[in-house]
Amino acid sequence: MSEHLSRQFDAELDGIRASLTRMGGMVEEQVRSALTAFAEGDRDLIELVIARDAGVDEMEIAIDTACMHVIARRQPTAIDLRMVMSAGKVVTDLERIGDEAKKIARATRKILERGSHGPTQILEVRHTGELAATMLNRVLDAFVRLDIETAADIVRCDREIDQHFRAIVRQLITYMMEDPRTISTALDIVFIAKSVERIGDHCKNVAEDIVYIAKGRDVRHMGLDGLKREIAAE
Amino acid sequence: MSSSSSSLQTARLRTEIKRRRRWDLVFIVIGIFALLLGLMTLATLFIDMLIDGWERLHPEFFTSFPSRRAAHAGILSAWVGSLAVMVVTGTVAIPLGVATGIWLEEYAPRHWVTNVIEININNLAGVPSIIFGLLALGLFVYSFNLGQSIRTAGLTLALLILPVMIVGTREAIRSIPQSIREGAYALGATRWQTVQHHILPYSLPGILTGVIIGMARAIGETAPIITIGALTFIAFLPPPPITDAPPFLSFEWLEAPFTVMPIQIFNWTSRPESAFQHNAAAAGLVLVAMTLIMNGLAILLRYRLRKNIKW
Amino acid sequence: MLHPPVTNLPIKAEVRNFNFFYGNFHALKNVNLPLCEKKVTAMIGPSGCGKSTLLRSFNRMHDLYPGNRYEGAIVLHPDQTNLLDPRVDPIEVRMRLSMVFQKPNPFPKSIYENVAYGLRVRGIKKRSILDDKVEEALTSAALWHEVKHRLKDMAFALSGGQQQRMCIARALATAPEILLFDEPTSALDPIATGSIEELINELKHQITILIVTHNMQQAARVSDFTAYMYLGELIEFGNTNEIFIKPRDKRTEDYITGRFG
Repeated sequence: MSEHLSRQFDAELDGIRASLTRMGGMVEEQVRSALTAFAEGDRDLIELVIARDAGVDEMEIAIDTACMHVIARRQPTAIDLRMVMSAGKVVTDLERIGDEAKKIARATRKILERGSHGPTQILEVRHTGELAATMLNRVLDAFVRLDIETAADIVRCDREIDQHFRAIVRQLITYMMEDPRTISTALDIVFIAKSVERIGDHCKNVAEDIVYIAKGRDVRHMGLDGLKREIAAE
Repeated sequence: MSSSSSSLQTARLRTEIKRRRRWDLVFIVIGIFALLLGLMTLATLFIDMLIDGWERLHPEFFTSFPSRRAAHAGILSAWVGSLAVMVVTGTVAIPLGVATGIWLEEYAPRHWVTNVIEININNLAGVPSIIFGLLALGLFVYSFNLGQSIRTAGLTLALLILPVMIVGTREAIRSIPQSIREGAYALGATRWQTVQHHILPYSLPGILTGVIIGMARAIGETAPIITIGALTFIAFLPPPPITDAPPFLSFEWLEAPFTVMPIQIFNWTSRPESAFQHNAAAAGLVLVAMTLIMNGLAILLRYRLRKNIKW
Repeated sequence: MLHPPVTNLPIKAEVRNFNFFYGNFHALKNVNLPLCEKKVTAMIGPSGCGKSTLLRSFNRMHDLYPGNRYEGAIVLHPDQTNLLDPRVDPIEVRMRLSMVFQKPNPFPKSIYENVAYGLRVRGIKKRSILDDKVEEALTSAALWHEVKHRLKDMAFALSGGQQQRMCIARALATAPEILLFDEPTSALDPIATGSIEELINELKHQITILIVTHNMQQAARVSDFTAYMYLGELIEFGNTNEIFIKPRDKRTEDYITGRFG
C-alpha cells in the first residue's frame, strides 16, 4: 500500500502494527514457556509465566488506546478502517492466548503439587502445543504482510489441532478408566489440552481478520471451504 | 553567554525596525504636504470667490434678469435655463443609459461586436466636450433643424453624459455577486424577472450615483453649449410648461432660446468693469453650490438605499 | 454500465453517456449515474474532477454562460424528460429541480420574500397561499420556530447556518422533484454544518437529493450512495458503506484513505 499524505498517520498505523507484532512475540514466548514448564515440570518457569501475563495485559490496553486515538483523530476509511478495527480484535485474541498460557502454567503447578499420580507426560499434548505456538508465529507474520494464503492455511491447521485435542481426550479417558486415582491429574491435562485447542481457535480468528483486512469480506462462521471460495473471488 | 548574545540580537532587531520606521514617517510628511497643497489651492480659490461674490448674494440676484448695470444684473434666466436643459438631458440620458447598461451586462452575448461597442463607449467617455458641441451643431442644429434651443442643448449634454451613465450603470450591476443571479435563475426566474426583481433594485444606489454625477458634470459644461450657440444675454424666460387653457401642458419652452449658468459667468468675466467680476463670483458660488448639493444628494441616496443591501 | 447496488430501487433520474466541454476542454467524460428516488447520492473527488460541473448540468446552470457544450442525456423519471434536450426550456428544468449553493446567497430582501420568491416567479400572488407555502418550507428546513416572529426582517440578519437553511427553504417552497446541493456547508462552522447534515437526513424522506461535497466524512455521514469522480470520469459508484469500507477501485481507495498524491 502506498503512503498517506499524512506521514504522521502512516507512523501511527505502523506503530499499531509494530506493537501487535511485539505483543504477539510476547504471547508466543508465554505459550512456549508454559509448554516447556509442563513438559519439564519446571516450577520457576511456571511462576515466571504467571508473573509475565501482567505485561501482556498492559500491551492490550496500550494497543486498544492507540486504535481508539486513530479512530478519533483520523477517521480512517476503507483499508485503514478495516486494519484498525481488526487490530482491536486481534489484540483481544492475543490477550486471550496469553490467558491460556497462564492457565496451562497454573494447571501444571497443580499437577506438580499433587505429586506424580498418573500420566504427567503426554507427548501428544506437547506436540499439539508446539503446533499451536508455530501457528501463532505464522499468523502474526501473515498479519503484518496481509498474506491471505497463509491465513487460509492457519484455518486448516486449526482443524488439525481440534482433531489432536479429541485424540488426547480419548487417550486420557482410557487412563482414567484404568486407574481412577489418575482422574484429578488427567483432568488437569485435559484442561491444558483444551487451552492449546483454544489457542488454535484464537489464531484462526486472527487469520479471518487478515482476510477481512485484505479483501474486505467477513469470512467468520463460513467454514474452510467458504473461506477458500472468498479468497479465490475477484 | 547565550542571554547576552540574544540581547545583542534584540538590540540589532530594534535598530533595524527604527530604520524602516523612519521611511514611514518620511512618506507621511510627503503625503500630508501633497494633500494640503491641493486643498489649500482650492480653498484659496473658493474663499477668493466668496469674498468677491458674497455682497451680491441677495434674493434679487436670483430673480433679476441680466442688465447692463452690474448692480441690477441677476441670474434668473441662467438658472432657469440650466434647470430646463437638465430636465431634457435627464429625460433622455437616464433611460437610454440605464437600459444600455443593463442590456450590455445582462443580455448581450459576448462576442466581437459587443466588444467593439464596449470599447467605443469607454472611448466616448474620454472625448473632449467641445467635440460633442461640434457634432450637435452639425447634427441637431443644421441637419435636424432643432434650432439653438433648450432642446438642442439638452440633447447635446445627454449625448455627452450618456457614456458616463452607461459605464456607471454597468459598474453598479457588476457589483452584484453572480451568486445572486444564479440564485434567482435556479428558482426558475426568467432574465427579465431577474433584472426586474434583483438586478435593478440592488444596483439602484450605484446607478443613481452615476446619474447624479453625470448630471453634475452636465450642469457645469460650457464649451458644447457655446458651440451650439446659446445666447449670452437673455432678458426673458422660456414659455411656462403649464398653461391655463387645455391641455394645460405646453412644450413650447423646448424650442426657446436660452442661456445657462456657466455661460452667464463666462459672459460677466469677459466684461471690463470690476462690478461684473463680483457678479461672476456670486454666480460661480451658486454653480458650485448646485454641484455640491447634487453630489451630496448622491451620497445621501447611496447611503440610504445601500443600508438594506449586503452581500 | 451496470449499477449493481441500485438495481432493485426506484430511479428518479439517470445521467446517460454525459460529456461536457468548456470550450475545448473535455471536462466530463462519458458519465453514467443513477439517482435513486428519495435517497441521498453524494459526489466526491478532488478539486477540478468535474463533480460541480455535473451537478450544475442537472439544472442547466451552464446555459447562462457562453462556451459550454454538452452531449448525452439526464433523464428524469417517471416522465422520461431529458433535462438536457434543447427543446426543454431551462426554466422548466429549474422549476422542477432546486439548487442550494456553496455560500448562502440570500437576496437582500426579507426572510419571507426570500422563501416566497420561487412562488412569486411562478406568478402566485395570493397572500394566503404564499403564507402557507412559506411556513411549510421553513418548517421543512427546521427554521420556522427560529424565524416565525421575524419574517419581515432582512435575510442577512440571520446567522450563516440560518441563512443556508433559509436557502434550503427557498429551494423547497416550490416542491421540486430533486434537490441539488453544491458543497452546502463549505462556508459554515461545524455546528451549522451539523444542522444542515441533520436536515438532509430529514429531507430525504420527501425528496431525492444529489450533493457535491469536498468533505469525504460528510459524504459518509449523509449519503446512501457515493460516486467518486476523478479527472472528469466517474471512477466508482456504489453503496456508501461499501465505498467507505471496501471500494472496488484502487483510485477510490487511495482518495478516501488520504493516499492521494
